[in-house]
Amino acid sequence: MKYGFFPGCSYKGAAGYKESTEAVSQLLGIELVEIKDWNCCGATSYWSTQSLEAYVLPARIMALAEKQEFSEIVNVCNACYSTLRKAHEKLTQDSDLKQKVNLALAEEGLTYSGNLKIRHFMEVIVNDLKADDIKKHIKKDLSGLVVAPYYGCQLNRPWADIDDAYYPVLMDRLIEIVGAKPLKNYSAKTECCGAAHMVAHKDFCIPLNNRIIKDAVSKGAQSICTLCPLCQLNVDSSQQGLGLPKMPVIFFTQLMGLAFGFSEKDLMLNKLLTPFKMAV
Amino acid sequence: MMADLVLRDRFFKKYHGQEIENCIQCGTCTGSCPLAPYMDYGPRQLFAMVREGDMTEALNANTMWFCVSCYNCVVKCPRGISITDHMYSLKKMAAEIGIKPPKMLHLYQSFNAPVEKHGRLTDVAAMAGYSLRHPGAAFRNMPLGVKLAAKKRLEFKPRPVDNITGFKKVMEKAKEIERLS
Repeated sequence: MKYGFFPGCSYKGAAGYKESTEAVSQLLGIELVEIKDWNCCGATSYWSTQSLEAYVLPARIMALAEKQEFSEIVNVCNACYSTLRKAHEKLTQDSDLKQKVNLALAEEGLTYSGNLKIRHFMEVIVNDLKADDIKKHIKKDLSGLVVAPYYGCQLNRPWADIDDAYYPVLMDRLIEIVGAKPLKNYSAKTECCGAAHMVAHKDFCIPLNNRIIKDAVSKGAQSICTLCPLCQLNVDSSQQGLGLPKMPVIFFTQLMGLAFGFSEKDLMLNKLLTPFKMAV
Repeated sequence: MMADLVLRDRFFKKYHGQEIENCIQCGTCTGSCPLAPYMDYGPRQLFAMVREGDMTEALNANTMWFCVSCYNCVVKCPRGISITDHMYSLKKMAAEIGIKPPKMLHLYQSFNAPVEKHGRLTDVAAMAGYSLRHPGAAFRNMPLGVKLAAKKRLEFKPRPVDNITGFKKVMEKAKEIERLS
């Protein structure tokens, strides 16, 4: 299986996301081929400040992917996923806007036709692989580990088509497939972490993260599992002073890696702010 | 006021705001918003003001700057209004009329500048730009920065796109098209 891979700007600095994604995808035979010359998607910052450039940035990534003959773009960040998908949908519906975007892209000899699909790596693993194809690689028993699946906002909202908008279950299923226990009734699973507002309005965002962590702690989770670098950073970094037990926040790829027998060092678990140690 | 009506017209036409005429003022948006408690007006009130043409008040409110793009309200709105998109429009219009820049506008500008220059962003570049304007925030974020640096998670060198000349031409053209439309 081969996909066009859009790493996004925050992938490399995210705690072990790159290392664990590479380890897991290689083992599962999922070929993530980096889209050459990709740029920043622009995210909320461009949507909030620019009208046309906010579309040109994601369109350039999609045009490059088309030129490099990919039919699907796999994202590892919720914001990248959401931005590309949003641009893709709007451009498909608005031919005038599409024409303007292509006029700009023509400066570099690129064209966006819209003939591709935007996806998230977590969903690709659950939907494109059979459970047995994943299970056959399991080397370590994680049955003692209760994991709270934290999805954040932009994977399922506003679309709610690959999963539910408020109570998604795809990652729950993945946690179960690799042998750990997904936390049941985790009601904070799609609560907002505050995203970039954490920089400017930390005081208002801490209560949001408090709820995400407290719900996991009080229902008995030993770790939170996430699929977005910004969610991971916010939930991981806002724990000091909450008066709650420390809750490691790992990426779903790190959880998979643990089940597949990779070492904590291979998966760069030492890069988390709240340390993760296997208690099992 | 005349200026208010011109702004209202601009929101409805240039920024495709007609959709908010469908708002039934139920307040589901405000009720589902994680940062509504900190807003001058919830989204429901803000839309009522825009419809009535009280644009100066609406554009000076902090409401849209507290929108985190979580899309809770969009999913729940019984009238199917794309509230988040209208928040983006109101942010752009507020910046256009030259309101006193809120912190989030500075943050966005600090995010956009390195993207324009290199095509890609590093946390360090965005934070550096923001810290120049808000030294207090730099001070408060310093402990986190130190921890991330110790874990070798910060990128101090920019990572430009390969075809940076082409990228800049595309962005320049986009600006030109935007100016003309």
